Amino acid sequence: MIANSPAKSHTTSTRILSSLFIALFSFSLFDPFSSVSAVNESLTYLWPLPWEFTSGNETLSVDPGLSLAIGGYGGNSDILRAAFDRYRGIIFKHSNGVYLFDRLRGRRLVYDISKLSIVVNSDSEDLQLGVDESYTLYVAKKDGQSIVGGATIEANTVYGALRGLETFSQLCTFDYGTKSVQVYQAPWHIQDKPSFAYRGLLLDTSRHYLPVDVIKQIIDSMSYAKLNVLHWHVIDEQSFPLEVPTYPNLWKGAYTKWERYTIEDAADIVSFAKARGIHVMAEVDVPGHAESWGNGYPDIWPSPSCREPLDVSKNFTFDVISGLLSDMKKIFPFELFHLGGDEVNTDCWNSTPHVKQWLQDHNLTTKEAYRYFVLRAQDIAISLNWTPVNWEETFNTFAENLNPRTVVHNWLGPGVCPKAVARGFRCIFSNQGVWYLDHLDVPWEGFYNAEPLEGIDNASEQKLVLGGEVCMWGETADTSNVQQTIWPRAAAAAERLWSKKEAISTGNITSTALPRLEYFRCLLTQRGVQAAPVTNKYARYPPTGPGSCYQQ
Amino acid sequence: MGLERGISFVPLFLFLHLFIHGGVGVEIWPLPESASNGHHTLVIGNDFKLNTHYSDSSSILSDAFSRLLNLIQAPHVVEANISLFHHSLILQGITVVVSSNNEELQYGIDESYKLSVPSPGRNQFTLILRVIDVPLVPWTIIDQPRFSYRGLLIDTSRHYLPLLVIKHVIDSMTYSKLNVLHWHIVDTQSFPLEIPSYPKLWNGAYSATERYTIEDAKEIVSYAQRRGINVLPEIDVPGHALSWGVGYPSLWPSKTCQQPLDVSNEFTFKVIDGILSDFSKIFKFKFVHLGGDEVDTSCWTLTPRIKNWEETFNDFGNKLSRKTVVHNWLGGGVAQKVVESGLRCIVSNQDKWYLDHLDTTWQQFYMNEPLANITNPKQQKLVLGGEVCMWGERIDGSDIDQTIWPRAAAAAERLWTPYDNLAKDARTVAGRLSHFRCLLNLRGVAAAPLAGPGRGAPEEPGSCYLQ
Repeated sequence: MIANSPAKSHTTSTRILSSLFIALFSFSLFDPFSSVSAVNESLTYLWPLPWEFTSGNETLSVDPGLSLAIGGYGGNSDILRAAFDRYRGIIFKHSNGVYLFDRLRGRRLVYDISKLSIVVNSDSEDLQLGVDESYTLYVAKKDGQSIVGGATIEANTVYGALRGLETFSQLCTFDYGTKSVQVYQAPWHIQDKPSFAYRGLLLDTSRHYLPVDVIKQIIDSMSYAKLNVLHWHVIDEQSFPLEVPTYPNLWKGAYTKWERYTIEDAADIVSFAKARGIHVMAEVDVPGHAESWGNGYPDIWPSPSCREPLDVSKNFTFDVISGLLSDMKKIFPFELFHLGGDEVNTDCWNSTPHVKQWLQDHNLTTKEAYRYFVLRAQDIAISLNWTPVNWEETFNTFAENLNPRTVVHNWLGPGVCPKAVARGFRCIFSNQGVWYLDHLDVPWEGFYNAEPLEGIDNASEQKLVLGGEVCMWGETADTSNVQQTIWPRAAAAAERLWSKKEAISTGNITSTALPRLEYFRCLLTQRGVQAAPVTNKYARYPPTGPGSCYQQ
Repeated sequence: MGLERGISFVPLFLFLHLFIHGGVGVEIWPLPESASNGHHTLVIGNDFKLNTHYSDSSSILSDAFSRLLNLIQAPHVVEANISLFHHSLILQGITVVVSSNNEELQYGIDESYKLSVPSPGRNQFTLILRVIDVPLVPWTIIDQPRFSYRGLLIDTSRHYLPLLVIKHVIDSMTYSKLNVLHWHIVDTQSFPLEIPSYPKLWNGAYSATERYTIEDAKEIVSYAQRRGINVLPEIDVPGHALSWGVGYPSLWPSKTCQQPLDVSNEFTFKVIDGILSDFSKIFKFKFVHLGGDEVDTSCWTLTPRIKNWEETFNDFGNKLSRKTVVHNWLGGGVAQKVVESGLRCIVSNQDKWYLDHLDTTWQQFYMNEPLANITNPKQQKLVLGGEVCMWGERIDGSDIDQTIWPRAAAAAERLWTPYDNLAKDARTVAGRLSHFRCLLNLRGVAAAPLAGPGRGAPEEPGSCYLQ
C-alpha cells in the first residue's frame, strides 16, 4: 500500500526529475514521496473509502500459506470458503523469493499474519436488497498487548464478510524489496458499511452480444469496487439473445445462433454473481425497445412495416410477456425486476389500422394506451412476486396511476429523484449527464461528484433513494472495449455509492481522490481488468504516452 | 479419434476450432497445410477423456487438455441430452500419440501433427441444443508450420504490463499458433527487471511496484514453455538504454549525454555481461536480442572521452558475427539484402507488421510476405520467420488485447500456412478471420472488430460476425 523506504523513493525521484516528469499535483518537488512512488502517506489507498478506520505505522508480513479460520453461525459457508480461495489467488500473485535466500540474508520466516479469522453471525445466505453488508476488519501484530493478533473479519452476513475480504486484499501489497506480501500502516481497525444498498452497473447485451465469460469478468471486477447489482439489459431493438422455453422462437431474434444465452447460461451468471454477493436484476423493456421480439413472432409487431412499440391491442402480446416473465422467475430471484418503459414512440399504434381501431373501441389515447401497457406488464410482474422497476418516463407521464410499489429509475437528467420520493416512490439515480458510461466525454470527476441525494433534504425521503447505477449502453461497446469503457469511471461512482458522504464531498478531489483512484486503477490492471487511464480527457482512450501507471 | 507425431499443444487447440461453430462450414485459423472432411456430425460425450501413453512427466499434456475442456465449455453441457444420441455418434475422448519424449523447447522443434476424427457408423438425425458437436466429420488434418519463428513483440518499458496481462497475452498467442514472445523488457523510459548482478538497475523502474522479480520472469518463461512458446528476451544496447543510468549513472556518457551507453567505459560491458549472465539462468531460448536500433551517436562526438571510438564503431557492420540473426524492421527489401549476404533474418517491416501503427489494416498484415523477392531456395531458408511488434508508447493493460488482435492473427496465418494455401486476395478470408475474432471474444480475449483502424470501437450495434 505505502511505498517502500524513503531511500528507494528518493532514487526514483531523482530519475523522475531528470526525465522531466511532472510530480503529483499537490506535493512539492522536493518531497521524497512526491515522485512516481505509488503513494502519499496522508491518503488511504482503499477504494471505496471505508466508513471508519484507524491505522498505524507498522509494517506486517503476510504468510504465503495464509489459512482461514471460521467462526460464528454463518462461518461454515461454501460461499465464504470459495471467496477466501479467490482472494488468496489475488493477494499472492507473485512467487515469493526463495526461502533459503531469505535465511542467508537473515530474514525472519515467522510471519506476522498467518491466519485470517472470519466470523459470520448469521447463517442466512439469502441475497436480497438491503442485506447487511457491514463488516469490521482488524489487522494487528500478534503480541502480548494486542487484543487481536493477526487479521480478523467480523460480519453479520457472509456478504459482509465478502466486502471485508475485498478490503483486506487491498491492504496486502507485494513488496519488491523483501519479495513478500506486506500490510503497511498497521494496526488497522476498520468498520465499514455502504451508504446505499443499491450500487449498480447496467450491461446491455442486445446492441452487442457479450460472451458469458466476459460477463463473468465484469462481475469479478464489480466486486473489486463493491458494486452489488448487475442490471442485465438483456433484450432490445437490435437483438433478442435469451432462451425463453415457453416461447422458443423468441431467440430467433438473436444476431446469430452463437450469440445467445441458454437458460443454463443465465442461471450460471446469477450463481456466479451470488457467490460474490452481487444481485442480478434482469430487464425486459416493454413496450418500446422491443423490435427484436417479432423475429420469432411477427404477430407481436403492429405490422411488418411498423414494428415498435409492441402491439398493445393483442392479448397475444401479454401472453408472451407473461410466459417470458414466468420463465425468468425461475432464474432471477432478485426481488426487483425491471420492465423498462422508456422512449416509447406510439406512432405505429396510430398508423396501424387494427391498433387504431382498438384504441377507439377502448376509448384510449395513445398516451393512455402506453399507461395501460405498462401497468398491465407491472401486474404480471407483481403476480410473480416481483417489485417492478420502470424508467422515469412512466413516472413523468402517469405518476398518479403508477403502482405505488414501483421503483422509479431516473435517467433523463437531474431533479427526478426528488420528485419521485416526494410522492413516496423509491428511486434509483442514473442521471445520464453524469452516470452514462457510453458518454465518453464525461470524465472521472463527473462520475465522482454526482450525488444521488441531490435536492433531497428530508431524511425520510432520502431513505427512499435506494441508490444509483452507472449505465454501459452497448451501441459502440463490445467485448473488445467494454471493460475499458466501464473502468475506471464506474469506480468513481462506486465510491460515491459506498463511502460516507461527508468524507468524499469536501476538499479538493484532485488531492484527496485522484491519487487514490489512479492507485485503484493500477490495482485493477494488475488483476487483469482492462481499466483505462484515469486522467484521459475521453473514456477508453489509450495512454497519451509512456509513463507510470500511477500517473496516467 | 487420434493424433500422431509431434508435440501436442498445437493440435488440441486446432481441435477446438472444429466444432462450436458448425453450420456454414468449419472455420480454422490459421489454415492447416491439408484438411479433408465429410458431412456427418458427432457430439462430445460427457466426461470426455484424454487417452495417451505419453509419459507427460511435467504434466504439460494433461494441463493442456484441462485448458481444452474449459475452452470448449465442457462443464456447460447438459448431460441428459447426450443420452439421446446413439453411442456411435458420441466422441468419448481423444487419443494422443507423441513420438518423442524430449520436452526441450527450442527454435525449430517439430510442431507438426496429424489429427483425425472418425466417421460415425450410421446416419443420424438432427441434433438438439446444448451439446458440443463436431460437424463435417470425418476429418483428416495434416499440419505443420511454414516458418519456425512466429513472433509477437511486447514492450514492457514504455508501460509496465502486469504479470496477469502478460500471461493472458501468452494464452491468446496459442490460439493462433504464434510461438515466440519477444520480450522487449527495457528501454529509455523504464528498467523494470530485477538483475541480481547489478541490483540497482531496476531503480530505473517507473515505481517500486512496476517491476518484475526474477521469479516473475521465470514464471513467464515457464508459463510460455508449457504452451509451446519460446521467450526471446531483449536487452537493447547501446541506444534505448537511458533508464540504466538511474541506478548506475556512470553508464551515461555524461550528465547531459545519457544515450547511448558509454562505449568507452569498461564498466558498461561488465554490466551487459552481468545482465546476459543473469538472463542465461532465466531464459532458455537459444537466441537473445541485443537491440542495436536507433543509435544516435551525436552526443558521443560531443563527449571528449568517446570521440576516439567512432572509427571502431563505423567498421562494426562489416564484422557482424555469422551467428547473428538480423531483425528487420525499417522497411521492405531489407530481408532480401540480409540473406544475400548469408545472414539469417526475422521479418518485421514496420510499414506492415507494426501493431502500434493503427492505420495498418488486417489485410496488409495478411498480405505481407516474408519471402518477397527472395527466390533462391538457399536464401529462403535463411529467413527464420517473422514477428509482429506491439510497441508500448500508447499500450498498457487497458488496451493491449484490442491492439494486438485480430491483426496479429492475420500475420499468424501468413507465418504458419503453406504459401500455396494462403489467399491471394485477403478479402476472401475475411469471413474466416471474423469467425476467429469472435472465437477470441468468446474466450475472453478483447479482439477488436475487423472493420476500421486498429483497436477501433464497433461503430454501431450488430453481430460480432459482421463487424
